[in-house]
Amino acid sequence: MTVDACSRRALLAGLAAVLLPVPAAARPLDTLAAAGTLSIAVYRDFAPWSWRDAGGTLKGIDVDLGTALAAALRLKAQFTDFLADESVDDDLRNMVWRGPLIGGSACDLMMHVPTDRRFALTVDRCVIGAAYAREGFAIACGPGADCEVPPPQWAGKRLAAELDSIPDIWLSGSFAGVLRGQVSHHLSGAAALAALIAGKADVAMASKAQIDHALANNAAPHIKRRTGPIPALPSPGWDVGLAVKDDSRDLADALEAVMERFAGDGTLDRIFAPYGVTRTAPLGNG
Amino acid sequence: MKISHMLAASAALAIATAAAPALAQSGPSDAQIMADEASTGDVLTYGMGHRGQRFSPLDKVNAANVKGLVPAFAASLGGEKQRGQESQPIVYDGVIYVTGSYSRVFAFDAKTGAELWQYDARLPDGIMPCCDVVNRGAAIHGDKIIFGTLDAHLVALNRKTGKVIWNKTLADYAAGYSFTAAPMIVNGKVIYGNSGGEFGIVGKVEARDVETGELVWSRPTIEGHMGKLKGADNGITGKLNASWQGDQWTNGGGATWLGGTYDPDTNLIFMGTGNPSPWNSHLRPGDNLYTSSTLAIDPDTGVIKWHYQTTPHDGWDFDGVNEFIAFDASIGGKPMKLGAKADRNGFFFVLDRTNGKFVSATPFVSKVTWATGYDKKGRPLYVPENRPGAPNTDGSKGSTVFAAPSFLGGKNWMPMSYSQQTQMFYVPSNEWGMDIWNEPIAYKKGAAYLGAGFTIKPLYPDHIGVLRAIDPTTGKIAWEYKNKAPLWGGVLSTGGNLVFTGTPEGFLKAFDAKTGAELWKFNTGSGVVGTPVTWEQDGEQYVAVMSGWGGAVPLWGGEVAKSVQNINQGGALWVFKLPK
Repeated sequence: MTVDACSRRALLAGLAAVLLPVPAAARPLDTLAAAGTLSIAVYRDFAPWSWRDAGGTLKGIDVDLGTALAAALRLKAQFTDFLADESVDDDLRNMVWRGPLIGGSACDLMMHVPTDRRFALTVDRCVIGAAYAREGFAIACGPGADCEVPPPQWAGKRLAAELDSIPDIWLSGSFAGVLRGQVSHHLSGAAALAALIAGKADVAMASKAQIDHALANNAAPHIKRRTGPIPALPSPGWDVGLAVKDDSRDLADALEAVMERFAGDGTLDRIFAPYGVTRTAPLGNG
Repeated sequence: MKISHMLAASAALAIATAAAPALAQSGPSDAQIMADEASTGDVLTYGMGHRGQRFSPLDKVNAANVKGLVPAFAASLGGEKQRGQESQPIVYDGVIYVTGSYSRVFAFDAKTGAELWQYDARLPDGIMPCCDVVNRGAAIHGDKIIFGTLDAHLVALNRKTGKVIWNKTLADYAAGYSFTAAPMIVNGKVIYGNSGGEFGIVGKVEARDVETGELVWSRPTIEGHMGKLKGADNGITGKLNASWQGDQWTNGGGATWLGGTYDPDTNLIFMGTGNPSPWNSHLRPGDNLYTSSTLAIDPDTGVIKWHYQTTPHDGWDFDGVNEFIAFDASIGGKPMKLGAKADRNGFFFVLDRTNGKFVSATPFVSKVTWATGYDKKGRPLYVPENRPGAPNTDGSKGSTVFAAPSFLGGKNWMPMSYSQQTQMFYVPSNEWGMDIWNEPIAYKKGAAYLGAGFTIKPLYPDHIGVLRAIDPTTGKIAWEYKNKAPLWGGVLSTGGNLVFTGTPEGFLKAFDAKTGAELWKFNTGSGVVGTPVTWEQDGEQYVAVMSGWGGAVPLWGGEVAKSVQNINQGGALWVFKLPK
């Protein structure tokens, strides 16, 4: 038994609470098999998980993993890379259970959904589970800053973060806001790290995978990671997994089984490795 | 029969035009558009005049006979998808032009309701409109009907055929930009704001040549950004970092998503600006200029002449986009050129429109928790404990603040009216507040995030919407009409001592402008969230409004949803007159 059972129990509790009609014996796996395709939603501009390279090709860990999951179900993956809305709840509404207001339709599967049980409880139209990695925030520094000092000592240094993310809120809001005026805002974690590597910032804060990817293959030997803890960081990290619509439980079960196999036989690690990302196993999934 | 007659007439006119190149622009001129407020035979502007007073001197339909008003015809917008119809009709030369949901434009015969043409913008997948797929109206000029699309294009159509004359990309829809407001045309320039793109947006106002669609000037609304005039730098907005820290001004918000009004007396455009970003005010100390403000802008150059900030350092999501309507009145015995704005934040503002100086701010809703009033200089007297808290970095759920109005505002997008007959403003308002708290941990773009949670709550069990008559010289409320559902449509006043507005329950209603007595109502079959207009045609007075439930209200759940749960969608133009 896996963590998914937990979120599905939560789901059922949610359904009972609001008396939503239970969908009539949906068998989307049969439908998918007939169509031969699995439509998969991935975030746009979200390296190293999903982004388009200079030639416009969609790539990343979530793309490769989605392709492998589809193949294991003998389906062909079809990707939609979408613009993140204000919250993951909104993304699940737009991409999984309702679909966008204009054009397009909901996808069969969305990658990179946090499997936090408390969060899953609030999204009763989706089955969330099959965690495949754990993420968290980290800090990297260029030659202009000592990465290990207490953060208020970065006064006068140039700091970089993704706009309106926890790294932004932490850098701008912690320590009575003394660092706020020094934070440059970027549209992605990758862009904040690119500024650091290019010498346009002294300190960048982003996710662990984003930093792994930016520093892969010794691409930026002048950049160092902070090894000490980050004081007063509001997030201990989070597991990421998959979401499907609540009437697609047979698909969720099938994906859960495949993911378990991929974790055990080293497939996940092999998918992560080319991106320079060391996969951290999800806490909830062992 | 009448359609073919109409088409024949159009063809004849087209031939006549071709034969007379000096009259290449068959249609309303700049001067006619400027005179729309006083002309009763047409509706050439969003606002029934550039000042946006939405007042017609017509009195053939009046408080004494309005009870006999009956439909002349209704015209369906059809389509599988309907949703909110927030449009205000334009009427010219026997044709009613309306925009519809999903970026559609329709031309209907004003006598019969027969459709003359329809234009459907081809919308790409992946558009993310914030609230609904609405459009608030078109502009007319010469041979063109001009409107904006949900994928952030501005399109000029031939008003006779519906064929595209020009089509300009305003912003990248893939980055979340959209367009829902009605453009306005001032002396040959189409002037409009921007909307959508919550993530890293900076508000701006732009002007394009109405004939070619080419950009003339651009004016960002956040201090530090450079304005442009004919491709050249035209001075920065405000002063860099005067009210923002670091580079926060580079994505400070202040979208101008509702468009503006224009006052010929002062030759100024008045444009409201949205709230600042990021949402949590503790992360951006300072006034955050020019968010949640009214800007007075030179229509020829895009230079800001004055500003007034209704909510400095907003912490409640109080957009300042609402219309600023020019009017003249005496204050303390002194005749003044004034303007008024009913803000999201619950206060009704009166300013000197020649210089932006503060005159008064009075609450127009029954409960305002975030400020006790305004000082003589026009600064709010905050209630500090009512400001939502700083993000918790210790992973705890913050304390809950109850703030009124809610972020949907004491008044949302729906335009008010000023009656030149009663010299009162008629304000469609809503009585609701919100619980706000910081979530211990939320998720955004696949990652942990510190977001805020909120619940909108009606203040009273029996009503949310209230239409109020306000004397702008005193701020006193002369009368009010209470409505169960939130009011979400615009208001029209007339020289017949009448005030018209629609309700989500589906009614177009007429009230006695002096007393507020409800004199007439008609159920249009779906919620009314559009704005009524009136004009005279063949000696009779007509009233028209769009019906079609939608907009932002149905998107919010909770207790508000209960007041609108039995309202069905639709999409129709309704036209009324007195029986002959």
